[in-house]
Amino acid sequence: MSGWTDLFTVLPLPENWLRALLFVSFGLHMLFALLTVGTTLLGMLFLVYDRFHGLPAERDMRSHLGLRTLLVVLGVAPLLIIQVRYPHAFFTATGLFAYGWLALIPLIIISFLLLDGLRHTERNHHSRLTLTYGIISAALLLTVPAVFTGVLTLMERQEAWPVFGASGFGVNGALALHWLLRYLHVIGASCLFGAAFLLLFAKGEEQGKVPRLRNWLFGAVLAQIVIGIPLLFTVAKDMNWAMLWVVTLGAAAAMALLWIMRPGAAWPDAAVPRGLLVLLPLIFVAMLASRQMLQDRAVMPVEEQAVLARKERAAALQPYQQQALQSFSEKLATVYDNGETIYVQACAACHGGGGQGDGPAAVRLMVPAEELSAIRADREYIYGILKDGTPGTAMPYFRHYDREKLDLLLDWLSETFGMFDASPAAGDKHGDRAQAATVWAATCATCHGADGGISDFGRTLRPSPPDFRRFSLTPERAMDVITAGYPGTVMQPFRALPENLRRDLAGMANSFRSPDKKKTQ
Amino acid sequence: MMFPLLQIPGLGNGMTIALDAVPHVVISHGVAIGTISIIVLFQTLAYAGKGEHWARTARTLLNPVVVVVTSIGAITGVGIWVITGALAPEGIGSLIHLFFWPWFIEWGAFTGEVIFLLALYYNWDKLVTIRPGLLVALGWGYVGMGVASAVLISGVLGFMLTPGGWPWAKSFAEAYFNPTFVPQVVLRLAGGLTLGSLFIMTWAAWRFKGWEEERGSVLRLAGGILPVAMLVAAISAYIYFSRVPQTYLTHWKFAVGTSALSQAPHLLPLANAVACLLILAMGLAAFFRRAALCRVLCIPAILFSFALVAEFERVREFVRGPYLLPGYMYANQVLLIEHAAGERTDAPFLPNIRWVSGKVGQTAEMTAGQAIFAANCGMCHSGAKGVNAISTRAAGRPIDGINAIIGMTQGLGPFMPPFTGSEQERLLLADYIYKLANGDAPHREPGAKGKKP
Repeated sequence: MSGWTDLFTVLPLPENWLRALLFVSFGLHMLFALLTVGTTLLGMLFLVYDRFHGLPAERDMRSHLGLRTLLVVLGVAPLLIIQVRYPHAFFTATGLFAYGWLALIPLIIISFLLLDGLRHTERNHHSRLTLTYGIISAALLLTVPAVFTGVLTLMERQEAWPVFGASGFGVNGALALHWLLRYLHVIGASCLFGAAFLLLFAKGEEQGKVPRLRNWLFGAVLAQIVIGIPLLFTVAKDMNWAMLWVVTLGAAAAMALLWIMRPGAAWPDAAVPRGLLVLLPLIFVAMLASRQMLQDRAVMPVEEQAVLARKERAAALQPYQQQALQSFSEKLATVYDNGETIYVQACAACHGGGGQGDGPAAVRLMVPAEELSAIRADREYIYGILKDGTPGTAMPYFRHYDREKLDLLLDWLSETFGMFDASPAAGDKHGDRAQAATVWAATCATCHGADGGISDFGRTLRPSPPDFRRFSLTPERAMDVITAGYPGTVMQPFRALPENLRRDLAGMANSFRSPDKKKTQ
Repeated sequence: MMFPLLQIPGLGNGMTIALDAVPHVVISHGVAIGTISIIVLFQTLAYAGKGEHWARTARTLLNPVVVVVTSIGAITGVGIWVITGALAPEGIGSLIHLFFWPWFIEWGAFTGEVIFLLALYYNWDKLVTIRPGLLVALGWGYVGMGVASAVLISGVLGFMLTPGGWPWAKSFAEAYFNPTFVPQVVLRLAGGLTLGSLFIMTWAAWRFKGWEEERGSVLRLAGGILPVAMLVAAISAYIYFSRVPQTYLTHWKFAVGTSALSQAPHLLPLANAVACLLILAMGLAAFFRRAALCRVLCIPAILFSFALVAEFERVREFVRGPYLLPGYMYANQVLLIEHAAGERTDAPFLPNIRWVSGKVGQTAEMTAGQAIFAANCGMCHSGAKGVNAISTRAAGRPIDGINAIIGMTQGLGPFMPPFTGSEQERLLLADYIYKLANGDAPHREPGAKGKKP
């Protein structure tokens, strides 16, 4: 059961099976990768060569679509297996290399589309356009292995991760050298297998290309040996005997291939030497096997360590399983299709279950949450506050609820708190009305405006005062605010004023709201 | 948070996925399944002796369709995985561990699909004369593989919405054969056929070369398929949406319209109705062989159909709520159980974030705040600017308000995950967000008075 606490610790297959599957599927993917890159690269080189030597440019790019499509499809399986077999190294490397990794998608799409466009231009004999498309698409295609080798290089070098994480693409010398050689080795292998593919499948009028392809094949094998030796030195410390044997086998096969392909060797006119069909697969399998061994040696310890840490964490978290599922169930049962649910979920934390402004989160606020049950206001005014929030306070905007939800909430506020009822009548005169009007004009109007609307100065405040033409409070609450002030705002306590005057001012504050609107609510 | 946290600047993570995923859905459903099925149908009609123009039409459409499917369709498909893997490695890694086998078998179907397609592509001209029956069989083989691939992947997609009893029972069968599996498969296939028939009509109206009667028969067939496919899509969509969690579905207008359009209650239903009617009108115009009318209607119909695809995918993503794997992991890759434990113990979360990097000259508090933001909010929110920038969302809120809001995200917006971290980290996060929302005031030189800043 504990495996399900952390899914990374569940393996769909035993490790040995995964390794075998990875080797086979990665091999198939690499085969088509080499063929796609190789035939494209050689095709473009021949195109440029022919053009500058005035030769007719006749090549068959028809195989390209099939090769590259299989390349993409066959890439899915190794990606899948890698993400199960060593996800930690893989996701860390792709995460650190993220922008290069993500750039692969547009790079590949554009390159493929250009190659298709190229076939189209060729058919219509736009030779300059053909050349442009060809060069751009080949260049784009050549960056793809650079990204992949970069990711793999980083994946196999745990010690380089912190540096890479801190300074982005800043790679140190040893890593850069390995990356460069590895990339060149892939390009060399592409030329090798691309040339071999074209040789084996050359037919009809393409037979004229055979000598050229032979030279390329010979050159590519030679280049692979030249690049391979320093590449081997960059990974010397990770090698073991098994790997050394496999590399030696591959190298011996490469030497044999060189001998068969040597310039001046007897070469049957139409057929390709049988030796090629044995040696090429041998070289391919040997090189991929040694690559796999190196990768496993570098990456598996990282993976084992990470899985161990995950298992420890899962065991520590296990006791909280019931609690987590409980809140998940509750959450799924909470549907925001009624005003009460919306209020309880979204408002009550600050405004309190009874609308007293005393919710559990309210204690954190410098500007206290308003007592909703004391508000008597226009529905549209409150809707405006819901829509835009109150800047300068914790009251957020609620446009992440659609209009229907806000209407449900407003309905509920109306039913529960009578929020849109008429403003309470000013009541009996307590003191000298004229005096209250004078105080209002001299003091309150600075922010609240002479007509209860917000003054120009009031508008500059955060939070701004409410618009008393559309908003009022119960007399008790208004009295409280006048007496004690509104903490966190410029509304200061006016305790010093006589009580009767404060009562009159509270009455005044309630008198601005238009009576006909009160009736319609 | 063992893996580096990535936030795509400007676009944001969600929009980056959408830019790749929506074209993929349009192509994989509309072209790879819809259009090619109809092409194979055309070839079958030719084989059945219903006219040579069916074969000609099929052959003409094959090349561009293969190019689009193999160049854009396949790459954007792998692209969804590449992008989500980089953005949410914990989520994708967990899904892959759970669904390795369906995914692996789906890969087999995908490979089979491609092999059939390539076999068609390379051998069409040869087979059409010597073995037309085999050609038709290859075509239906392709369609079968395509449908199998769509069926296999739907279990995984459905799980992310409706995990059935999986969170409790933890069995693979509960997870994979979940309530939205079947309606989603039918919806996607019928939607694909709708799109495919739209594409075929558009092509026939504009580019068909041949007798007007032949064009008319192509239009009539495609126009006959469209309303039926649309009806099936509508019914399956209804069943599908009745099975997804209503907790989040009731927020669909906000999901699609965002806070910019959420206050116009009738806009989206109206736009959807107009879109469906236009597409249906296009189908009827084709059915009655009105090529000229089709030429006019095709542009809005296709644009609206893309918009409907985008809308559906947006809603589907949204109704997952705050979860990446329901009952297991939140959208920000925090495990439900991890959050539950943290809540009890007030444990700090920063030590779990392995990759923390700040800008040069940044205070330690800001670096910590940035990391906490990336881990908690960064999956959906951009920072200072970009799509769904937190600086806009928190504008006008004082720091105490931000701190309070962080503590109640789940209730405030039920599609938001809760904050995971200690009280002190919550303050650091509030401070960080406050500073993002309230950047330094523009400084004006004393001499530059009167000039625009």
